[in-house]
Amino acid sequence: MFRYIVKRFLWLLLVLVVVLLITFILMHLVPGGPWDREKALAPKVVAALNKRYGLDKPLWEQFVKYMWGILHGDLGTSYSYADRNVTSILLQGLPKTATLGILAFVFAQAIGIPFGMAAALKQNTAVDYASVLFSTIFASIPGFVLGILLMILLSVVLHWLPTSGWGSPQQIIMPVICLAALPAAQSARITRASTLDVMRQDYVRTARSKGLQENVVRVRHIFRNSLIPVVTVAGPELANLVTGSFIIENLFAIPGVGRLFVQGIGARDYSLIMGGVLFYAFTIAILNLAVDLLYAAIDPRIRYD
Amino acid sequence: MAVASQSIAVPVRAHHTLWGDAIVRLRRNKLAMAGLAFIILLSVVAILAPLLTPYGFADQNYNDILQGPSWKHLLGTDQLGRDTFARLIYGARTSLSVGIFTQFIVLCIGLPLGAIAGYAGGRTDNFIMRFVDVMYAFPDLLLVILLSSVFYGTKFGGSIYMLFLAIGLVAWVNISRLVRGQILSLKTRDFVSAARAMGGMGRYITWRHLLPNALGPVIVSVTFNIPRAIFTEAALSYIGIGVKPPTPSWGAMIQDGFNLIFAKPYMLLFPAIALALLMLSFTFLGDGLRDALDPKLRR
Amino acid sequence: MKPLLQVSNLTTHFDTQDGIVKAVEGVSYDVNVGETIALVGESGCGKTVSALSIVRLIAEPPGKIVSGEVFFEGADLLKLSQDEIRKVRGAKISMIFQEPLTSLNPVLTIGRQLSEGLEYHKQLSSQDAEREAINLLKMVGIPHPETRIHDYPHQFSGGMRQRVMIAIAIACKPPLVIADEPTTAVDVTIQAQLLELIKGISREYNTALILITHNLGVVARYAHRVFVMYAGKIVEYGTALEVYHRPLHPYTAGLLASVPRLDEPRKTRLLPIKDQPPDLIALPPGCAFYARCDHANDGCGSKKPVLMEVAKGHFSACWVAQKGLKPWQKKSS
Repeated sequence: MFRYIVKRFLWLLLVLVVVLLITFILMHLVPGGPWDREKALAPKVVAALNKRYGLDKPLWEQFVKYMWGILHGDLGTSYSYADRNVTSILLQGLPKTATLGILAFVFAQAIGIPFGMAAALKQNTAVDYASVLFSTIFASIPGFVLGILLMILLSVVLHWLPTSGWGSPQQIIMPVICLAALPAAQSARITRASTLDVMRQDYVRTARSKGLQENVVRVRHIFRNSLIPVVTVAGPELANLVTGSFIIENLFAIPGVGRLFVQGIGARDYSLIMGGVLFYAFTIAILNLAVDLLYAAIDPRIRYD
Repeated sequence: MAVASQSIAVPVRAHHTLWGDAIVRLRRNKLAMAGLAFIILLSVVAILAPLLTPYGFADQNYNDILQGPSWKHLLGTDQLGRDTFARLIYGARTSLSVGIFTQFIVLCIGLPLGAIAGYAGGRTDNFIMRFVDVMYAFPDLLLVILLSSVFYGTKFGGSIYMLFLAIGLVAWVNISRLVRGQILSLKTRDFVSAARAMGGMGRYITWRHLLPNALGPVIVSVTFNIPRAIFTEAALSYIGIGVKPPTPSWGAMIQDGFNLIFAKPYMLLFPAIALALLMLSFTFLGDGLRDALDPKLRR
Repeated sequence: MKPLLQVSNLTTHFDTQDGIVKAVEGVSYDVNVGETIALVGESGCGKTVSALSIVRLIAEPPGKIVSGEVFFEGADLLKLSQDEIRKVRGAKISMIFQEPLTSLNPVLTIGRQLSEGLEYHKQLSSQDAEREAINLLKMVGIPHPETRIHDYPHQFSGGMRQRVMIAIAIACKPPLVIADEPTTAVDVTIQAQLLELIKGISREYNTALILITHNLGVVARYAHRVFVMYAGKIVEYGTALEVYHRPLHPYTAGLLASVPRLDEPRKTRLLPIKDQPPDLIALPPGCAFYARCDHANDGCGSKKPVLMEVAKGHFSACWVAQKGLKPWQKKSS
């Protein structure tokens, strides 16, 4: 088991390096540089700035230097926020992004899973149809669009909630709902499908033939098995959450990592861009690893491979 | 101690084939049909756009800026006096073409790679799949954004073809995994051995035997990929690295409308609803297709 | 003596896409204390459905127990409340299912699956239940039970899993066990072992056993009485010996004749019963076996036969047999 974790972790690092490499190359393919302003700077100034930031060195050297820096926790200096460390910039945005993500995830599972199960247990009743309809709708409308619609309704028309910012509960509600809608719908769907599948299994019939009470059959036999696929999709769901958060942050003007990242792209802030990519890729990879481990914990058949 | 057990015979009931059954089931699915209807409707509207509105999507009229819906301008005008309805239906062209044409790229790359990986197995498979894994680890929206910024800076920047490429180059990964998985599971089935026993070669087997069976999930996956591509285009245009203005895009319209959300909320409302409806339609259709093609759902 | 279980006129239907399947039509059988009866017939004839109906394990849509009575320990099981029938299941009537590979919950340990019934029905504490679980595993012949109770189903072979199923079934020492094709999904070599095990337990604890099978060899060796089912109805019943040597229904005779025998020369052709069983949605008007019967009379195709005692303790639902004719029996018997 331990070896498995170590292997996965090493693989993760390799993937990150490749990701960074690709990003690095792509960034340097983009014409223009960090010094582009409305009014072009004099070439001499540009050259001097490049020299100062080491941008005149050959690309491979810049990359190696960057990788070395990462190992020491240094993600370079930002080009758009003069003299500020990328690490500190990202760390500033991190708590907001993390809170948003965690709240959305918890909310999504807390709504999606019970709904899905109720729909399966009461198949073909109103609960079931409602669940299927809502989960299809919310699984298709991106959080971004949902955000706009909610904003128009709740802020513009009803004046109940503010449209932007971060800090007060009213500011948090809409972004969390928008971000949670998709994973909630997906969880509901997959919980329903898997519960229906499990309900038909022979071992459920065996459990009933033992005369066990229905809620024992449900919890111990049905639910434990039906949650397995839910955990499996948790990985991609989390990945979506991470990328989704970045759009929602832009929409609701939340000063998290996503917003900074988009601004960095616009400003051709190389280090900020690289730092942002590293952050997202790393987060997704770690979350995927965590999901895999959780999956092994739940399903004993996996453990012994 | 053997037994004369004969399995219960099914008397001659209606003849069922996979595709025949699928179409019947799909037709019965009201949501899927509604989705299909909307898609067709929107496509027709988009194609016939010049006939449906006297305004071009770039026609600016400074006398009529920021007007609400009226008889002159069905859905009002934006901050540059452009007719919203016109931009909406020309924007449909952008969304639909992005949604559909990116899938060609996706299939051109994903199908062969997945099929080769699945059929060849061994080191080819390993190699291709490692590559796929790396791409998979990359948050796809991020990669599309990076690719788009690269393309945007070049002289082709903002062209819709670059957008097709950017989105397509990222989205093929899912299809290749899917195809590979299908082929892997089908490879061991008896009919493949039978084909081989009759002397069929690798490529022949893959093409004529394996792919048609793998087709079902691929169709469903493509139907679900389309709204994602549409959304990606809208998101990119919203951020500013999608299609270059004045080419209309619902995402760009959302960005424009955003600044005026309190004053003129309808500017945001129309493109947002249009986007939502189109994505919903494709999703309902995709769901319907998936249910229709699933043999296990026969009651 | 009053039978332990009396199934009377049980009728169970299934509502499907293509029509109503009359899986069980007016079936009656009984089991005495400590007796082993065999319920025999080919796949799809309704034997499993009738057994599931006894403990009401039929999925209520699309299935429905339409009519009939099942008397057990003085009560009609079909009229009990949900709570009451649950107390019967597992503790008084338990089942062994056919498919060991899918009949056990993959995420629970074997020990847990054994002890949960004990904890519920016998109110044992978890330690006592665990100890009893170890005993049960020993009884069914699983080596190292103390360690194996912490293992999961996928760590056992098919034959071992079936032993576990047997252990689960006898955990609460029920007076009646229904074994639904317990050996069909298992290797031939294991089949014999499992049957010996089941029979041995039945003898030791005086457990009544309903053995559902399509394997006639099993019937001969282990059952006291046999009930033959065809197309949802009982067509013949009597003691195992009687039915074997003097079958009173052409279907039974056909089944017996189709079994390859060691005492016949190898070149003898196998004798299957021609054609296929009828569609349970659209049953023919007369005897359900008419189309495949080599000895039918004209009346057989239009009037449904009824079970009648043709020889002592031996009943048959065949017009021809009831007239005293037995054209399918060999002269020498």
